[in-house]
Amino acid sequence: MFKTEEMEINLGPQHPSTHGVLRVKLHLDGETIVRCTPMIGYLHRGVEKICENKTFFQGQVWTDRTDYVASVSNNLGWAEGVEKLFGITVPRRAHYIRTMLTELNRITSHLLWLGTHALDIGAMTVFLYAFREREEILSMFEAFCGARLTTTAFRIGGLREDIPPGFEKQVRAFQARFLDCLDEYEILLTENRIWKKRTVGVALLNAEDAIALGVTGPVLRAAGSTYDIRKAFPYAAYAEMDFQVATKNEGDTYARYLVRLEEMRQAHRIINQCLDGLPEGPVMAKLPKVLKSEVNEIYHAIEAPKGELGYYFIGEKGGVNPYRMHIRAPSFINLQALSKMVEGRLLADVIAAIGTLDVVLGEVDR
Amino acid sequence: MTPMTPTLTQYLVISLLQIIVVMGFVMTLVPLLTFAERKVIAYVQVRLGATRVAGGLWGAQRGRTHKSRTFTGGLNGLMWYLGRVPVFSILRGLPMFIADALKLLTKEDIVPVEADKAVFVLSPALAMVAAFTVFAAISFAPGALFHFPANFPLLGGLPFNGFLTDLNVGLLFILGVASVGVYGIVLGAWASNSKYPLLGGLRSAAQIVSYEVPLTLSLLVPVVLTGSLNFNEMSTRMATDVPVNAVVGIFRTLLMFVGFFVYTTCGFAETNRTPFDLAEAENELVAGFHTEYSGMKFSFYFLAEYASMITVSALAAAFFLGGHYLLPFGLQGFLHIGGWWGGPHIIFFLLKIFFLLFVFLWVRATVPRYRYDQLMNVGWKFLIPYTLVMFVIAALLRYAA
Repeated sequence: MFKTEEMEINLGPQHPSTHGVLRVKLHLDGETIVRCTPMIGYLHRGVEKICENKTFFQGQVWTDRTDYVASVSNNLGWAEGVEKLFGITVPRRAHYIRTMLTELNRITSHLLWLGTHALDIGAMTVFLYAFREREEILSMFEAFCGARLTTTAFRIGGLREDIPPGFEKQVRAFQARFLDCLDEYEILLTENRIWKKRTVGVALLNAEDAIALGVTGPVLRAAGSTYDIRKAFPYAAYAEMDFQVATKNEGDTYARYLVRLEEMRQAHRIINQCLDGLPEGPVMAKLPKVLKSEVNEIYHAIEAPKGELGYYFIGEKGGVNPYRMHIRAPSFINLQALSKMVEGRLLADVIAAIGTLDVVLGEVDR
Repeated sequence: MTPMTPTLTQYLVISLLQIIVVMGFVMTLVPLLTFAERKVIAYVQVRLGATRVAGGLWGAQRGRTHKSRTFTGGLNGLMWYLGRVPVFSILRGLPMFIADALKLLTKEDIVPVEADKAVFVLSPALAMVAAFTVFAAISFAPGALFHFPANFPLLGGLPFNGFLTDLNVGLLFILGVASVGVYGIVLGAWASNSKYPLLGGLRSAAQIVSYEVPLTLSLLVPVVLTGSLNFNEMSTRMATDVPVNAVVGIFRTLLMFVGFFVYTTCGFAETNRTPFDLAEAENELVAGFHTEYSGMKFSFYFLAEYASMITVSALAAAFFLGGHYLLPFGLQGFLHIGGWWGGPHIIFFLLKIFFLLFVFLWVRATVPRYRYDQLMNVGWKFLIPYTLVMFVIAALLRYAA
């Protein structure tokens, strides 16, 4: 007499909490997820192909537009990848400044994640608190390179300019109060019963599955792994920095929240070390006017806020642009875990899972 | 002087006047509440809230430059200088609620092609009528607010009461009518013939039906303690009853204290407010049950939600926070306060309502949202047992008295 039917519902691409243009096709039994299929491609611009037609100098501009909330990290990956391809040695001062900016960028990225994730779960105030601090870092980027979001912060071989006067003071002023700000977010969330109810045990992903799916970054570290490229394959000035890799064993949304908060604290430590130990010297290596590559292929990965961000270059003889370029985008690969995390759970957990994966659709679709 | 019995005409005229006053009060309070919501949440979140409409009022706009010539403007400027959000900018954006109303009135009123048109149009009205009818049984002041002067045409010497009706089953009426409101939500969601509203409507139905139980049970405590269903009698006796001995008095106060929190929690769920706003959880269901609604139909739901916030606050204030008397939780019966402060006053009642409305906004800015199954757990596994225990204690207290 009665028949039940699965309801198919489209979450997105125009939905308040799919963080851009992610479309998730859900099959629901009541409110329980039977199947979950992320559908992507709404923001595809062909960045990789475009970069093959741009010189090595021009390509960096396009990396700003992949993960647009962590553009400095993308710039770093590009610049170091190209330097590796050509065997360029970057001055130590440039390394330090790059590290500092990248860590500041990690904080902005995590703050944006924290704000939107909390907003998705219903705590709207954290969003504005997080953006208040993010705003300050963005104005530092503006002071450094003139842009707040699409920074193109570095050059192949170093930096275009040294840090501007007053920059160090600006960073130190921010550093002085940032830990208090983190405590402020924690007061609102960490011991909040509703927050814990919504996040503890939600969107579970154990280390085995995470590794099998290629998931990296805080999502992997919250599952108990200690894999962090900054420690495993140090780049920039990370070998000289003293910091810990934040890990948790639970592999749920709450653990990922704690891991990211701890990463912000560690980033704060690294920035302080960069400021204190900033070496004197030039910020730019001597380069020829035109970079011409040999037949060569390299893969260079950095620890972006979202996970392992890899740049894969193939050079051709005498080429001024990469013959082939590929970006291993952490958001894209982490997004694969979504179905695994939410199937059999409730609709509200999908929102928490999308939030906790911290995907940026500019990077997923490229 | 024996009270005058009004003729039918006098009765009708005076009722009409009262209805106008009460409706006027609610209809003014609701838009002001939306404005308060903007501002309260804005201040919690270190921002300014609505500032554009009448931004130059009282010179507040110039305050940013710290060179303002007006007094409030100067204070605002000083606060900016000290790194604080300028409190005096509260007046900015005050006419925003008028702009809101105009916007909603002039917006295109869309009825989806696939919708069940009659139900779709009727259900917001049902929700709003239910939410507003409740005010018929709420008493803002237990007695007469004032008497018409003897030489007043037609109504000379008659009292103007602080309540519309003095129903002997006032509380039943309130609960009954308020629960009709859920039909407005469920039918509206169903009639939209769309997926997100359907989910929102189902959530809402389950939620409100579940929370109706502890809500009603927690209101049974004052019913049992006073042995009445009359709003005025209940609120007055809850506030002023002198306990037979200290133990009964302490238990009574404790019961009202706990009851207040239980009732308010249920009230949050009943009005679909954060942390129980699952039915319209914008981050999950776009806008929940009213996704397909626009313009004035949407604002009917909106008005209904805010009106029921006022209802819930009024009931909590009346039965647990001492109603028209100064002290909450039945303390008025212990501590005898003389003079003006000891009497029932509409201002005490209104202040309590305003405070509770503020709590609604405060909570919204602070806590995340429950998940559907957790919400059900909270309702059935915690609130209902608590209220049952409270009910038993209330019965014992009644027996002891």
